[in-house]
Amino acid sequence: MKNFIELKKVKKTYVIGEQKFNALDGVDLEIKKGELVVILGPSGAGKSTLLNLLGGMDKITSGSIMIDNQDIGKYNDKELTKYRANDVGFIFQFYNIMPTLTVDENVNLIKDVTKTNKESKEVLKKVGLLKHADKFPQELSGGEQQRVSIARAIMKNPKLLLCDEPTGALDSKTGVEVLKLLRQQSDEDTTVIIVTHNSLIAEIADRVIKIKNGKVEENKLNSHPKKIDEVKW
Amino acid sequence: MLNKKMFRDIKNNLSQFITIFLMILIGVMAYSGIEAYMGGMQKTKDKFYSENNIQDLNVIGANFTVDDLKTIKNIDNVNGAERKLSVTATTDNDKTLLLNFIESNNISKFYVFKGEKFDPNKSGIWLDNFYAIENDINVGDTILVKYEDLELKEKVLGLINVPDHLYDVRDESELYPDRKEFGFAYVSINEIKEDYIKKRAMKEMNITDENIFDMYVKDFNYKDYLIFNSVMVDIKTKEKRDKVKEDIEDKVENAKAIINIEDTSSYVTYQGEIDEGKTYVGVFSGLFLFIAMLSVITTMTRVVKKQRQQIGTLKALGFNNRKILFHYIGYGFWIAVIASILGLLLGYIFIGRVFISLEMAFFEIPNGKPAMATSSYIVALGVVLIVALITYITGRSILKENPAETLRNKIPNVKSRSINFTKKSIFKKLKFESIWNLRDILRNKMRTLMGIAGVVGCCMLIVCALGMLDSMNFFVDLQFSTLYNFNYKLNLNNNIDNNQLDELYKKYGSHTSQTIGIEIKNKKGKRESNNIFVTDAKNYVRFVDRKNNIISPPKDNGVFITKKLSETKGYKLGDTITWHIYGNNKYYTSKIIGFNKDPQNQNVTMTRKYLESLGINYKPDSLYTNIDLNKEKEIDNVETIQDIESLKEDMTNMLSMMKTMLVLIIGFAILLGTIIIYNLGILSYTEKQYQFATLKVLGFDNKKITKIFIKQNNWIAIISIIMGLPLGYYLTDWLFKTAIEEHYDFGASIKFKTYVIAAISTFIVSYLVSKLLSKKIKNIDMVSSLKGNE
Repeated sequence: MKNFIELKKVKKTYVIGEQKFNALDGVDLEIKKGELVVILGPSGAGKSTLLNLLGGMDKITSGSIMIDNQDIGKYNDKELTKYRANDVGFIFQFYNIMPTLTVDENVNLIKDVTKTNKESKEVLKKVGLLKHADKFPQELSGGEQQRVSIARAIMKNPKLLLCDEPTGALDSKTGVEVLKLLRQQSDEDTTVIIVTHNSLIAEIADRVIKIKNGKVEENKLNSHPKKIDEVKW
Repeated sequence: MLNKKMFRDIKNNLSQFITIFLMILIGVMAYSGIEAYMGGMQKTKDKFYSENNIQDLNVIGANFTVDDLKTIKNIDNVNGAERKLSVTATTDNDKTLLLNFIESNNISKFYVFKGEKFDPNKSGIWLDNFYAIENDINVGDTILVKYEDLELKEKVLGLINVPDHLYDVRDESELYPDRKEFGFAYVSINEIKEDYIKKRAMKEMNITDENIFDMYVKDFNYKDYLIFNSVMVDIKTKEKRDKVKEDIEDKVENAKAIINIEDTSSYVTYQGEIDEGKTYVGVFSGLFLFIAMLSVITTMTRVVKKQRQQIGTLKALGFNNRKILFHYIGYGFWIAVIASILGLLLGYIFIGRVFISLEMAFFEIPNGKPAMATSSYIVALGVVLIVALITYITGRSILKENPAETLRNKIPNVKSRSINFTKKSIFKKLKFESIWNLRDILRNKMRTLMGIAGVVGCCMLIVCALGMLDSMNFFVDLQFSTLYNFNYKLNLNNNIDNNQLDELYKKYGSHTSQTIGIEIKNKKGKRESNNIFVTDAKNYVRFVDRKNNIISPPKDNGVFITKKLSETKGYKLGDTITWHIYGNNKYYTSKIIGFNKDPQNQNVTMTRKYLESLGINYKPDSLYTNIDLNKEKEIDNVETIQDIESLKEDMTNMLSMMKTMLVLIIGFAILLGTIIIYNLGILSYTEKQYQFATLKVLGFDNKKITKIFIKQNNWIAIISIIMGLPLGYYLTDWLFKTAIEEHYDFGASIKFKTYVIAAISTFIVSYLVSKLLSKKIKNIDMVSSLKGNE
């Protein structure tokens, strides 16, 4: 099977004052399409930087990032915007949904940037929020808000779903629900990448990547990923 | 260490602090500047009037004898009295001089710019300083002055200002003093020589031979034959002025009219300028300060709220509440202190001095300088205290929470109830950017209201400034094209006889009028000065109603009174007015048969026929003609020839002076509007930055986000313009109606073009500022913006 994501010698250097800091220091990485990938690592290891580069939110300093045969490392701002609009879905720890738009409007917002054949109601039904469609985010619980964020992400049918600590602000029961939705998405052939501190989540992943000091320490396939309900949270 | 933190925080939020600084600076500067200007006007006048002992009363009559003067001086509460002969003279180069012959100069004393003090025994002339400058006349020069058959060749002994000549115009139809053509002058009464007096006396007695005259008039003392047509009276206590007036009326038969100094045109015009200005103080500077302060308060509140986590950290580190509060009060306090002090100074220098110097070019008063008002210090202090208080209140509300809570970021609170209605009906069909902006406005009502207030203020001030010019132009047109339907006005000599009149009628037509000074007994029985315009001018002088439509002159059975007079004095159609002519105690009662509008005089109008039906002799003082008098320099028995075009020109001169002030007001309005829109724009941008970053992550391009951002500002601008245009009209109308002197009747008359200019310029200011701010969107760093929120 061909690689869906391929990173070669990716470097990301931040310059703070007179100091240079390599957040990623020559990362090589391959991920197949439809995999559910968990990236683990301590704080400051470079997990989020990697996620931002994959999502086209930041630019590499050197190296190459091929996603679905496209070198997004060479994209300019305009191309990156288009890439984010059409191909990537984001899920953040603190949801980042628009507080002044209703649940349905937040999901439909995607139609303003890309064409999609999905209907918001259908997506909301999938994430179990149809009855809350007309509510504002602050009328929902944290788990429900994260599900809005998932609904918004999958509304566009992304090739790649990037999740930054998606369960970090949730209790375990709600976290499980969110992970189930992500697994479901991966089963439907979307590549899902989860960045987390929580090593338990690694048990459900198809691939686990460990990052330390801006380098990939380990990249292994999980031959027998556990079902979400089997994991003891 | 905390101070270091404060300076660095200020540095990091420099643009917000700069706008706070500028808003306070401009607000205080506008207020203190205009106050210094108005206070300066008042102080300069008070000083001049008191040091140079302005008279309290002008007693007018045909001639006052030495005995009359003695009688007046002996009346209780009279401090002093001086006789004066005032005549309108001409110079050898056809200029007009209000020439005064005096015996002494202890009342309404000269302020001598150049030359020497008045001395009755010195032969020479003391000349109006402005007139001298305009005509390039200096001390030591000689000028020739003619009055009837009296010719005086006088050496200029002094260039002067006199308290009752702050503002002199040739006659009431002149709106702007023309110092090149008209001025005042003083000479000693001794300049009228015995020979001249003797000849006049002989002429009056129809004697041609001097010997016969000497036979008839033994012990001829020419001084007994000198004529004085007014007496200036200085009173000890002003409260007793009415009593003094009554005494003079009773005891001095020659006194035909007694006029309070406050009713003279020089006094009224200067005081009117102050009263007018006082209203502007309230309106313009108050508005500036109010809008600026609203904006400062909003900004300071946001600045402190942004420091929420740092407040939590300081608290967690063990800093006590007092220390933290003082630290945060310091942010606004020092900026407010510096901006207020600078505002006071710059207001005094740039507004006070500039406006005073403009006024001093208009009024003849020495040593004009601005005066800092106590209220300005209070306002400056108030501004500093408000800023400190706002910081204190905001800081305290954050400090009330426990540190753990404070350390967490406050998630924007959306009260769903207030925006619920936007989920229904037509709102459902709105595009994302519209519904998002609508709800953002509803969520941030205060910020939006501040924005609206700022832009409304900016728009109002532009409408008002341009509208005042429009209205003045409209007034010029009304006065000189509608009401005045003639090309020349001839001001006739006082002693013109019927034969001489007939001569003039033959040459120039018989369209004439007479203005008679009267006193009207008001409903409470108190007498008030006014005048009657008696018209025999046919359609050369026309009348308009309240709506500026031409109406026929009054019929011959009653009087018109001006609409404004009817409103201020409570007269209705069909009411009667009781009046008497100055110098004659016979009272007449006339029925009000109509109202006319007069932009310049609030008076009574009647026809010649009606006047004569009351048994009063009609003696015209003005003749109107359309015959070309361009080449005529002098006409027998005519004191002055007034060309309507030159009257119009005077008015245009006055308007051009007004334009300077209006440009200043517009400049301030745009500056203030820009700062407020920019400041609130920054606030609004900062609050939305995180949402914009999210939109960027979702794939919205910069153009689309810019469109969303500008849309809200455009809405605010449009709403504000819709509100600002009519409010601008009402402000102008109100200013004209209340601020202007009582004898004027102006209203706002604003051209459509002005509204268009005001709307477009306000929108452009708002749009450009939004566009400038939207440049920041391009530079939003998605990663750090989203992190910042976590």
